[in-house]
Amino acid sequence: MAHILQTSFLPSTSTLRRTPIPGSKAKSRSLQVKAKIREIFMPALSSTMTEGKIVSWMKSEGDKLSKGESVVVVESDKADMDVESFHEGFLAAIMVEEGGVAPVGSAIALLAETEDEIAEAKAKSQSSSGSSSARVVEEKPKQKQESEPAVSAVAPTVSSTKTVVVGSAVHPASEGGKRIVASPYAKKLAKELKVDLGTVVGTGPLGRIVAKDVEAAAAAAAGVVAAASPASPAIAAPVASGIELGTVVPFTTMQGAVSKNMVESLSVPTFRVGYTITTDALDALYKKIKSKGVTMTALLAKATALALALHPVINTCCRDGNSFTYNSSINIAVAVAIDGGLITPVLQDADKVDIYTLSRKWKELVDKARAKQLQPHEYNTGTFTLSNLGMFGVDRFDAILPPGTGAIMAVGASQPAVVASKDCRIGVKNQMQVNVTADHRVIYGADLASFLQTLAKIIEDPKDLTL
Amino acid sequence: MHYSPALSFSQPTSLPTTNYAFHSHVDLRFCGLRRQPSGFSFSTHSASTRVSLSTPARGHSNKISASSGNNGTPKSFDYDLIIIGAGVGGHGAALHAVEKGLKTAIIEGDVVGGTCVNRGCVPSKALLAVSGRMRELQNEHHMKALGLQVSAAGYDRQAVADHANNLASKIRSNLTNSMKALGVDILTGFGTIVGPQKVKYGKVGFTDTTVTAKDIIIATGSVPFVPKGIEVDGKTVITSDHALKLEFVPDWVAIVGSGYIGLEFSDVYTALGSEVTFIEALDQLMPGFDPEIGKLAQRVLINPRKIDYHTGVFATKITPARDGKPVIIELTDAKTKEHKDTLEVDAALIATGRAPFTNGLGLENINVATQRGFVPVDGRMRVIDANGNLVPHLYCIGDANGKMMLAHAASAQGISVVEQVTGRDHVLNHPSVPAACFTHPEISMVGLTEPQAREKAEKEGFEVSIAKTSFKANTKALAENEGEGLAKLIYNPDNGEILGVHIFGLHAADLIHEASNAMALGTRIQDIKFAVHAHPTLSEVLDELFKSAKVKAPASTSSPVSEPVSA
Repeated sequence: MAHILQTSFLPSTSTLRRTPIPGSKAKSRSLQVKAKIREIFMPALSSTMTEGKIVSWMKSEGDKLSKGESVVVVESDKADMDVESFHEGFLAAIMVEEGGVAPVGSAIALLAETEDEIAEAKAKSQSSSGSSSARVVEEKPKQKQESEPAVSAVAPTVSSTKTVVVGSAVHPASEGGKRIVASPYAKKLAKELKVDLGTVVGTGPLGRIVAKDVEAAAAAAAGVVAAASPASPAIAAPVASGIELGTVVPFTTMQGAVSKNMVESLSVPTFRVGYTITTDALDALYKKIKSKGVTMTALLAKATALALALHPVINTCCRDGNSFTYNSSINIAVAVAIDGGLITPVLQDADKVDIYTLSRKWKELVDKARAKQLQPHEYNTGTFTLSNLGMFGVDRFDAILPPGTGAIMAVGASQPAVVASKDCRIGVKNQMQVNVTADHRVIYGADLASFLQTLAKIIEDPKDLTL
Repeated sequence: MHYSPALSFSQPTSLPTTNYAFHSHVDLRFCGLRRQPSGFSFSTHSASTRVSLSTPARGHSNKISASSGNNGTPKSFDYDLIIIGAGVGGHGAALHAVEKGLKTAIIEGDVVGGTCVNRGCVPSKALLAVSGRMRELQNEHHMKALGLQVSAAGYDRQAVADHANNLASKIRSNLTNSMKALGVDILTGFGTIVGPQKVKYGKVGFTDTTVTAKDIIIATGSVPFVPKGIEVDGKTVITSDHALKLEFVPDWVAIVGSGYIGLEFSDVYTALGSEVTFIEALDQLMPGFDPEIGKLAQRVLINPRKIDYHTGVFATKITPARDGKPVIIELTDAKTKEHKDTLEVDAALIATGRAPFTNGLGLENINVATQRGFVPVDGRMRVIDANGNLVPHLYCIGDANGKMMLAHAASAQGISVVEQVTGRDHVLNHPSVPAACFTHPEISMVGLTEPQAREKAEKEGFEVSIAKTSFKANTKALAENEGEGLAKLIYNPDNGEILGVHIFGLHAADLIHEASNAMALGTRIQDIKFAVHAHPTLSEVLDELFKSAKVKAPASTSSPVSEPVSA
């Protein structure tokens, strides 16, 4: 997709609440952190266990742990068991709160080697623990999730719909909007759907915010995304009624960077190849493992990464016009619309990381993106980009190649279609159209075609995705 | 007979009792099936010779005839035992007194059955039965897992309310009939102690009647406690008394207090579609439960439901809804006493506990001073006067003494008192009295919580061990698809003494009795673990629990297993 943020426009990082540190320096620092901070994983306590529930933490954040000491009580499908630490150190951050559920193998806490690293580890875990604690709430609005197609993660907060703030002021006792009156379930939903209650119009008794108001607000937020979506960088103009017609509004830093990149992309000779992929098997798989926190975005990223692993040339880029740069890892960037623009959080090593970790990582990235806390290496290290507009019912579209990468794939909606099969039968299958834009200096038509064939095979028989 | 006019009107009499009525009058009693309401008629007197109260003059002239029919009270008392208050405690005492051959009367100023039957345990169980089913039917996931398909479950508020009301009436009439059938005199009016062994009773606007008895039991129970600042209007700001009538199901109800009463109502209200906000003065919800059970209960009963909560706050002011304004609740920080928040809700249920109902009992006539309304008693329920001396022949049981505010505890205390007055010393073993909260799933407990046990152990120098079993390992629970639950045993590993058992899970309230009986009888873990449980039943949760305990003491030799009964 078009206006992907790149390293080249670091000035915009100011909007991301980060001091513009040179990318390389930031990277090396975070790598160092990783080395000393270990993750504590959800163990497999039985052969049938796929996820575990945290019964209680026996240690609190900051406590010292010795090797073999019990840290946490985990409830499996069979019993409650104490889990011991394999290493010595300090329990730096609890990422899954008591009562929370985590898939086997996913991180539930961070263990710091020394006391000094506790703070760093905490920072590292912050966004992810936020998303996992949401899982404590077991009654999820399932019908909502189901109606949300493909990339569910792209729904941003509604904070951009400033017009509605007046709503809560209607409540007689809310002191002119100073206080927010929302029912208990509305509050729970707001937390889950990441809706800011301050922006929601209450339609309940006396202007109280009730559950359906929050749901409506969340749905409206999806609408804002549509407007702010990549195809029209004019950003949310039709919906955000805060905009005065007939005026000229200068670009924000981020929008300026997008504009610069878009113009730059004109110097790259691109071409496009499309493919129609049947998704029945993928949909079935998604349904099956959705409850374990797996998102469609993660599944698509994983499938793409597996296909890229078999076609390294698609994962290249042309830096100088004279050579192929073969990237050492497969990092899938996924475009996400955020307030006033878009950003491409990166799923690093998507071919190697398992689907559950990948899904968790994705949630973490999206949360960070919304909070504008992504670090440079989390949005500018992509080697291949995914852009999905399927959730708006878009069946096909065409993405602009972000400078510095070799290819970008535009994913349309998966829709039922009448299909004639080879044995001359007519059936209904879910199909989705993908369209890859690539740099023809390094990637040729046949390369792309065979990559797409592999991808289709993986998606149509997705058993490898959960390995 | 012994009925005041007002009551005798409406009550079809049960079969006559013959255990101590004059037999020659039996037929007369039959005639009295519909007693004439004619004032304080002597016709009732003629129906049974043993009672004198029906005479409007409160003379004691007929006293002799009263006791002469009985197998002998040495002094001339109207009764051997008078119980003030016909709740579950009074009823239990009365039944046991009759069994022991005492001539017994029970004085009730309101309706027979007291709080439990009319405004407490009984109607709330009817509502909880409804909420349990609603919850199950609405749980599509649960139904699907069992292979069932149910289309949208709904309810009719009035029909649900009627079910609760009908249940209360039914139990009330059962209770009344059981006492009548045994020959307990039910005297209508508010009872007041006028002196040692002397009670007067009467309805407002009627002349009081004075009766005497060898022993008197106060069993006047309690009423909902409403903290000051809270204005109860019975419509939008209510207590459990009103809530049980289920006159409306508010969209949003604040429940002040997260103990048994509050929890049970949160279960009912959320099942019927309300959203609930708990207001708890202490720092955590469900104080009083074992912390581990409380945590688990919060995870299952609070977090996934449409419930939020404020802890560490007092509801210092609650104003009922009026003039188009909602119910307004002022929250004050429990520690800093500063205003913290204001809530506006559709209804507020005050479930902050219960206050003893002892006003007007005439305790001042016998020099007894209540403590925060409670009647001070010793371990044998004997009333203690203002000077710290025991008041002879006066006992107090149930909520009025505040020892253990549970219906069945009151009844047990009553039975204990009757044992004492009939010549057998008896002290109720309070720690073995179980308690239950009828949420879905239920919570039950007996004995000490873990922190209490640890504190005691430290003081007395013994060890405490904990054993736990999960309902997940129980076949029956899994068959019901209700594996969420925990049973916890707190015990002394040296001698195998059970210090406490706490259960959270399917039918926990029914399961606790194996543990409470063991505690009451002093059965040790090393012995009870040999007892056999039917398979597959939920009772195996406790079986597992006992078996998983590690007791150092060997099983006693008199274990029933070692002596086969029929081989």
